[in-house]
Amino acid sequence: MKSWWKDVMAMEFRKILAYRSDFWITFLGQMFIQLLVTISLWHSVFKENNVTSMQGLNLEMLALYYLVANVGMRILWGENIGFISREIYEGTFTRYLLYPISFFQYKTVSYLSYSLFYSLQLFIFYWLYQLFFGTSDLSFTHLYYLILGIGIFLTSSLLFLTLAFMVELISLWADNVWTLMIMLRFFVTFFGGGFIPLNFLPHWAQEILAWTPFPYLINLPVRTILGLSHHTEIIKGIFFILAWTLILATFVKVIWSRGQKRYTGVGI
Amino acid sequence: MSRYIRLYIHFLQFSFSKALEFRLDFFFKIIMDIVYYSVNILFFKVIYLHTPMLGGWTESQMMIFISTYILIDAISMTVFSSNMWWLPYHINRGDLDYHLIRPVSPLFFLSLKDFSANSFVNLLMAIFIFSYSLIHYSLPFHSLDVVLLCALVLNGALLYYCCQMLMILPVFWTQSARGFMDLFYSMGIAMERPDKIFTGWRRFVFTFIIPFSLIASFPAKLFIEKFNWPTFLHLISVSLLFWILMIFIWKKGIKAYSSASS
Repeated sequence: MKSWWKDVMAMEFRKILAYRSDFWITFLGQMFIQLLVTISLWHSVFKENNVTSMQGLNLEMLALYYLVANVGMRILWGENIGFISREIYEGTFTRYLLYPISFFQYKTVSYLSYSLFYSLQLFIFYWLYQLFFGTSDLSFTHLYYLILGIGIFLTSSLLFLTLAFMVELISLWADNVWTLMIMLRFFVTFFGGGFIPLNFLPHWAQEILAWTPFPYLINLPVRTILGLSHHTEIIKGIFFILAWTLILATFVKVIWSRGQKRYTGVGI
Repeated sequence: MSRYIRLYIHFLQFSFSKALEFRLDFFFKIIMDIVYYSVNILFFKVIYLHTPMLGGWTESQMMIFISTYILIDAISMTVFSSNMWWLPYHINRGDLDYHLIRPVSPLFFLSLKDFSANSFVNLLMAIFIFSYSLIHYSLPFHSLDVVLLCALVLNGALLYYCCQMLMILPVFWTQSARGFMDLFYSMGIAMERPDKIFTGWRRFVFTFIIPFSLIASFPAKLFIEKFNWPTFLHLISVSLLFWILMIFIWKKGIKAYSSASS
């Protein structure tokens, strides 16, 4: 069979770059504003307490943490909200039931195109940051942790995709589920360490979170890129990512088999 | 004026009946905002585990600020958000034609016609959080302080609307406003932080150029700290300036509008 996934990926890349000005305004603007605000906040906290580091992170590390976390979240988010639910609502979902390609395979390839694109962005931005603002010399250790961290981000993006499948497929029962996707993003951002590094949370909260999928989505890959995670922590994290993906994929299968029967394909 | 009030009452009736048609969606939106409020409060709770003060404010004072921006956000979500979401599409698809020929201000119509009834429940919840933080505020205050704070909350909601419009209006000249809109939403984080954390050029940016710090932080500051005229005048003058700028660009945009090919 011809490698259809290459065509799907090429098509998705073209979509991402269709509105280039929008893309760069969003990307650079968001990055700049978010970093500016978070660094100001932590600078104020450090100043108020007259310290140079907290929970093992100084201001430079925190800046890097948020830079990586912000681009990393784009790897996770992949396609826009509504990548399935909109099609169900509009009735265009029917084509996936007719094409000789698995719906899940198609959507996974399409989603991974975005994740790969943003991974490349993360690679370039991290490298540029280290080149211009980094205090330590660039080395193979940096490169090793960067590639390892991006690899974890891509693995955890499959976990997020499974969560997204679960939520998006609810649209087979409800008209609008974008609110649920926003909620999912809120949860992942907060409990995953996108708003605040997780070691700032109370110890008991960290222990509970360790059993959920959230810390492995953002906190683990970011800490890996920063060289703060031990190998045992990384291996344990990857195990949790795969285990959660499998567990959630089972739920997706159930939702899919039940939801398919409800689909009418009439659109709006 | 009375014509506009009657018109707005019709908008409200229509919006409520429309919202109740999608009950599950209505319920989801309420839950979503509860999550948003909880995450915001939790964020500051975690920060205060590591510091007794932030931007010169204690946790109790910070709660006043948090509830202020939650309330402003709820007002914006209820009154303006749906309209702001659809405005670029109206301009892009040429739907503005229908609004320009009506005997009513197109800016009024396009900014207010879609009242978000779903968010109205959340507005009530935001009012509850706001009242709760005032009742549990640790320092004494005068009732006039509360009146001033409420007036400044409304001013904050209007300033937020102006900033959002200024991000949407370039769509009259560009093909898509999506980049600017996404940028606007990410800028929202600046509104959710106390202004005192910004120093130097960053302070200038967030209090003059992109005045997100004026939306909620300045009103809270005038309540928490002693009222001072420079802060008040700064807030009012920048708000007025942004309103005038928004109206000016709107008029320019209407002149540049060329229907469906816009």
